[in-house]
Amino acid sequence: MTVQAPEQSALPGALPAAVLPLRQSRSRLMTWLRRRDLDLWIPGVILAALLIGCFILPLTGVLPNPAAGDLTETLRPPFSPGHILGTDTIGRDVMSRILYGGRTSLEVGVSVNIIGIVVGGLIGMFSGFRRGVVDSLIMRILDVMLAFPALILTIVIATYLGPSELNVIWAISFFSIPAYARLARAVTLKMREQVYIDAARMSGRSDGAILLRHIAPNVLPQLATFSLLQVGIVVMIEATLSFLGAGVGPQEASWGTMIATGQIYLSTNPALVLVPSAFLFVTVVCLNVLGDGLRGRYGRAL
Amino acid sequence: MATTAVTLAPEGSEPTEPGASGTRLGTLGRSPALRMIGRRLLLAIPVIWGTTLLTFCLMNLLPGTAATALLGADATPQAIALLNHKLGLDQPFWTRYVDWLGHALQGNLGTSLASGQQVTSLVMQRLEVSAELIVLAFLLGLVASVVVATLAARQPHGIAAWISVAVSTIGLSLPPFVISLVLVFVFAVKLKVLPPLGFVSVSTNLGWNLRTLILPAVSLALPMFAVFNRMLRADLLDQMQTEDYVTTARAKGASPWRVLLRHALRNSLFGLLTVAGLQIGVLLGTTVVVEQIFSVPGIGQQLLSAIQNEDVPVVEGIVAVIATITVLANLITDVLYAVLDPRIRNDSASS
Repeated sequence: MTVQAPEQSALPGALPAAVLPLRQSRSRLMTWLRRRDLDLWIPGVILAALLIGCFILPLTGVLPNPAAGDLTETLRPPFSPGHILGTDTIGRDVMSRILYGGRTSLEVGVSVNIIGIVVGGLIGMFSGFRRGVVDSLIMRILDVMLAFPALILTIVIATYLGPSELNVIWAISFFSIPAYARLARAVTLKMREQVYIDAARMSGRSDGAILLRHIAPNVLPQLATFSLLQVGIVVMIEATLSFLGAGVGPQEASWGTMIATGQIYLSTNPALVLVPSAFLFVTVVCLNVLGDGLRGRYGRAL
Repeated sequence: MATTAVTLAPEGSEPTEPGASGTRLGTLGRSPALRMIGRRLLLAIPVIWGTTLLTFCLMNLLPGTAATALLGADATPQAIALLNHKLGLDQPFWTRYVDWLGHALQGNLGTSLASGQQVTSLVMQRLEVSAELIVLAFLLGLVASVVVATLAARQPHGIAAWISVAVSTIGLSLPPFVISLVLVFVFAVKLKVLPPLGFVSVSTNLGWNLRTLILPAVSLALPMFAVFNRMLRADLLDQMQTEDYVTTARAKGASPWRVLLRHALRNSLFGLLTVAGLQIGVLLGTTVVVEQIFSVPGIGQQLLSAIQNEDVPVVEGIVAVIATITVLANLITDVLYAVLDPRIRNDSASS
């Protein structure tokens, strides 16, 4: 019995465990849920609701402006009339800020992983396909990048790039690329030994064509299943950066900044911290359960 | 048949690669463990160096300079030029970097722009506090995960198994800063049993010191607990169900606890060790955030304030120290792994 080496988490701070296999140890509840595919449906539906809330609801105009506060209506508790989750210290609607903040979180989570898949995937496929000196060199550089104290450097990078969503994406991406590259390389090494690659080569296909037509379609699903678990981690990192003031600008809504501003009111108005925390928790749990479930079903080929 | 988990090991051995270790001293060079250690040592140097260079570049690319940060926005150009000259900031980038690196290698990390203190002594002083916090969190996470995972493996559907799943889920799905705030809310605001923030040093009062460090240590320990517990529980259950030596031990009449502790846990602890070493680096990262919340005067709090003040030598020094500790912790893990695992120690065809 050999548990596969847990891949170093792409990301800082953070929780490589999401990529550890969890075998045999399912509770009865999980087994029951799994048999009915509910471990995919429940988080899937919650995430779909969140996506609609974050990306479609703002377009309909029913949400109050997340940046405009009404100073006559500050610190309303949740379930107040007109403000289902209450208002914050300067009278901004919490529900509206939560949904706009969720938009930021999900945008960052998805973009970082798309950048990771594309850039890391290309590097890994190229490296694994070429082998030789180039491969060794690339792998050593990736090893070095994986060994960086990533959360700390992400904070430094994000602070100096300045507060904006795009800069957060760049800062986190820098450390998400190596993990994808390693995975892509591992799959490529397996693929290049296959008979159909020989067949393609004998029929006169160029290396580039083989890479794109025959190898990429096999690498992509593996990277995609891996990315599901990574999105949750990136969402947590985005929140951490925003909490420290190194994330999106203070005016923009983000769960991290909401928690940071609510922090001082923890004893009098805990909802300002607990509501965004709960959204963060549910989102990340759903992403992890969904990722685990999909990986358990489709990610076994490797 | 223990869990093998080498995170940083490049997958697959590369037979074409020359020894890479430089330890080719007769028979020594043939020992795979020594070769591995040598290779890791060589890998450690570019990581530490790369980190310092990257930080140096970043600090130099930013728009504001230390002089404007120190003198304020309305300083005259002459005053800025004078200060830049005094700080050596008018030198070209590479000159400054090489200077800094030369001094750093001798243990001198420069002086803080904000306070004029020696960065080396500043960092060491702060590191003491962080080290206490990290060691506390590390032990807490390790002991708790071993206990809970063993109990959960003994009764896979018992209460320990539920606790194990619930706490692991929280540890994996909440960033440490949220865990901190929730703990403060529950234990300081609602139950009023622990102080919400503030720090008392060990020399002042050990009891109070520990009281102030409980919440930060738990916040740091939870994500780690999740990692360890998840891995250990899966591994224990797997061994109990599939391994022949477990069946043999049972057949010989060993009690269930004995089988679990002597045969299965001993095996799993070895795998846990290799994961545990890698967590030191992760803890150093999360401690930055947690110290900030609990106002613990450690290295992380110093780093954040130095970043805000654009105190380049301090940021550079702290990042270099953290990188060095992280890399050394990884290195020691790898070495322990090589020394403890007879397959790597003796077998040349190991991966």
